[in-house]
Amino acid sequence: MSLSTFFVLVVSGLSGAAILFLIGAGLTLVFGALRVINLAHGTLYMLGAFFAVSIAARLTGPAGFWIAMLAAAAAVGGAGGLIEVAILRRLYRRDHLMQLLATFSLILVIGGIVRVAFGADYHRADAPDYLSGSLSIGSSTVSAYQLFLIGVAIAVAITLWLTIYRTDLGRLIRAAVADPELLALSGVNVPVLFTGVFVIGATLAGLGGASIAAYQTVKLGIDADIVVQAFAVTIIGGLGSLGGALIGAVIVGLVQSFGTYWEPKWQLAFIFLVMAVVLAVRPSGLFGEPER
Amino acid sequence: MTAVASASTTRAARALAALQTRRLRIGLVIAIGVGVATAFGTVPQWLGPADQYTAGLVVIAILLALSFNLMLGTTGMVSFGHAGFYGVGAYSVALIATKTQGDAMTGLVVAPVVGAITGAAIGAICLRAVRLYFSLLTLALAQLLYVIAFQWDTLTGGDNGIHGIPVPEFLNDPAGSYYFVLCVVAGAALLLWVITHSPFGCALRAIRENRQRAAFVGIRVKVYELAAFTVASSLAALAGGLYAVYVGQASPDLMFWTESATPVVMVLIGGMRSFYGPVLGAVFYTVLATKVRNSTNYWDLIIGGIVLLVVLILPTGLVGAPRRLWELIEWSLQGFRGDAHRAPPVSAPAHLVPTATVTADAVTAGAAPPSPAVVAANGRAAAASNGALLEVSRLGKRFGELVAVHDVDLAIREGTVHAVIGPNGAGKSTLFNLVSGLIRPDDGRVTFAGRDITGARAARLAHAGLGRAFQTTSIFGGLSVADNVRLAAMAIRGDTRWPVGFVPSRHQERVDAVLENVGLTAYASTPARELSHGDQRALELGISLALDARLLMLDEPTAGMSPFETRRTLELLRRTIKDRGITLLLIEHDMEVVFGIAETVTVMADGTVLVEGTPDEVRRHPEVIRAYLGEPG
Repeated sequence: MSLSTFFVLVVSGLSGAAILFLIGAGLTLVFGALRVINLAHGTLYMLGAFFAVSIAARLTGPAGFWIAMLAAAAAVGGAGGLIEVAILRRLYRRDHLMQLLATFSLILVIGGIVRVAFGADYHRADAPDYLSGSLSIGSSTVSAYQLFLIGVAIAVAITLWLTIYRTDLGRLIRAAVADPELLALSGVNVPVLFTGVFVIGATLAGLGGASIAAYQTVKLGIDADIVVQAFAVTIIGGLGSLGGALIGAVIVGLVQSFGTYWEPKWQLAFIFLVMAVVLAVRPSGLFGEPER
Repeated sequence: MTAVASASTTRAARALAALQTRRLRIGLVIAIGVGVATAFGTVPQWLGPADQYTAGLVVIAILLALSFNLMLGTTGMVSFGHAGFYGVGAYSVALIATKTQGDAMTGLVVAPVVGAITGAAIGAICLRAVRLYFSLLTLALAQLLYVIAFQWDTLTGGDNGIHGIPVPEFLNDPAGSYYFVLCVVAGAALLLWVITHSPFGCALRAIRENRQRAAFVGIRVKVYELAAFTVASSLAALAGGLYAVYVGQASPDLMFWTESATPVVMVLIGGMRSFYGPVLGAVFYTVLATKVRNSTNYWDLIIGGIVLLVVLILPTGLVGAPRRLWELIEWSLQGFRGDAHRAPPVSAPAHLVPTATVTADAVTAGAAPPSPAVVAANGRAAAASNGALLEVSRLGKRFGELVAVHDVDLAIREGTVHAVIGPNGAGKSTLFNLVSGLIRPDDGRVTFAGRDITGARAARLAHAGLGRAFQTTSIFGGLSVADNVRLAAMAIRGDTRWPVGFVPSRHQERVDAVLENVGLTAYASTPARELSHGDQRALELGISLALDARLLMLDEPTAGMSPFETRRTLELLRRTIKDRGITLLLIEHDMEVVFGIAETVTVMADGTVLVEGTPDEVRRHPEVIRAYLGEPG
């Protein structure tokens, strides 16, 4: 493998990792605070992609792409808020089977709504010209859109890190992760905080979906595919750990791009193989804590 | 004598009542069974060809749901990968029928074997994790099976799967193939019924109710869970194989992870706590799916909405619907959820009502001359292990920088009552957890009855004769009081290994004797979680008695009890434990309890042993006073 191929594979792997990080970070953040695995997290991502496609179709002008992306993310965040208040809130004290089933039913319901609203066709948004081409770096040529995806993920990672470790909100979220009951006793309105955390997670998923609307085909079913990979990311990194989601996403992204290069048919199997190896060594993932 | 007579009268009355209820229930079950069997058995007579075809799919779905419920409803394992094994079975049949000399029938025999092997392998990996992580792992690994089926196209036909599986002539007839599927599923369902109602199944329910307690009655939890996972996978593969034979094809879609939700949803809709719930759920789900999918585009929306509704308002499923409906009516009538539907409180048996004598007994117990039983027990102990039943030497444990337990030596003579006391943070509970194998020590050795048990697992300790009760009551809440005790008696004798056999009357004399001992005879058929706190502690003690434990470790047996309950527990301990010659090691804060029954007291502070001696010696020891009251002036 030449150095330039290697570089291309790394960039492509990191762009995949960028999407997985946006989804995995939300998944793990929600799990950390709410102790709920949202099976429908990929469906929120799909919703973001559909929103972005339909908003972008109605906007013209140079800013249309960006407005559609942000508006779609915000809309998914709003939908997430509704879901938390109407459904998840009633399930925190129930066993995790009921939580899994409730979030699974959301996959079906949201998927059904999307089918009614958008049909079963394939969609795609248009990317601005400056993101559609490719760039030459040294002897290799990489896609501009892939670099854009990596940029989005880096920006989100920094924002998340600053929010969690440098703001009052972040302090509350960390406290909620550690001990929600004690936090409630300290006079903090935990239900509102939980809604906030879920909105953040949903917004990230929506942003992920919106960012690929001009890059991949948008259709029904992309949610179930991506969410399994996001599970792999969080299982490898350790549920509840943002750093773990980052590392997990990079691992899965790179395994995917190099796996596709070497043995395209089995790239998905490689991910599970890596996951099995990590779990054999650390059952709670790289940065996870054993479940209490 | 009167006591004995009245006891046997009540026992007879109880047996009669139980018999009547059982007769009623058996009659009901037989009636429903005959009805259902007739309905399924005559399908070709009263359904058209299309519906008859659906009926076959329903029957296959029943096996899928029943096999899944062995994990979910019986053992409490939430697997999200059951479709993977269903697919493994379908591909086993498809591949054997199309790529080898064998035919579909051979495939149907091989499918459950392949399912069991895959299930055992995947189960062994997934069971390294618990609860939510377990669920995610099953999902991910079953998805791996999907990826293999999808990508290995030279073998599996890839995306398209394998079509046109050749089947024997009699299966080309719609009625013939329906009856064939029905017979195989009936046989497999009978097998599952036997397993579920066997001692092994009882152990699985115990694991569902309380994993830790199950381990401490001697059940090797992970092994049992793996067995349940393997059987469930094997029968799911049989269901998948039947599907391949019945429909004539196998495709990767069968194994996609969202398909794993199908058995979960069937079981949820039907009701997971009943053996028959999954049957109901599978019928409902499959019929609805066929009808809705054929006529509209809204299947996702409809089934999603149903699942959401069931989760939010009907968690007991259709089986529990009448009762739940009644609860809701009652709730809306009363304005709050009353307890009226629970068993009416039974008044306490006379011998449990505390009297002045009991209290006096308790206080003087320590000084009372040992009963003959105790002397006999001591004699046995001396012969067994040179006096010390449990020996702890130089035991140490650090948590990071914190030295929790350091250089602790302890020797517990058989037949004695030994209390460990000390201020909070002295390391008492850590010491207990080290001895009972919940935490591995950094240094030192623990010897029990002459055997090294350092760091041994709970199940092994239970079989060695070491019973343990916890600071927070640990019982099998969903099992009846009698079954709590019975399970312990079965588990410790190794009965629970057997997946065949009848549970209800096993070790009945033992169970009766123990319940009599701990004063819970009147509550034998009450679910354990409905007992009062004090009665639950008594039951926990009863579980340990049924284990025939030689050493019983109790972590604050009277914590959170009223003075009345404390006195009762004290009396119970004194009467049952000491009379049986069981050695007792306890942590206790209540000094009335400690000085009431302990013969030796060990005082711990800062992770080490401060003083050991008789209650009187300890009480007067200046260091103990200092440890509890602080440095004077």
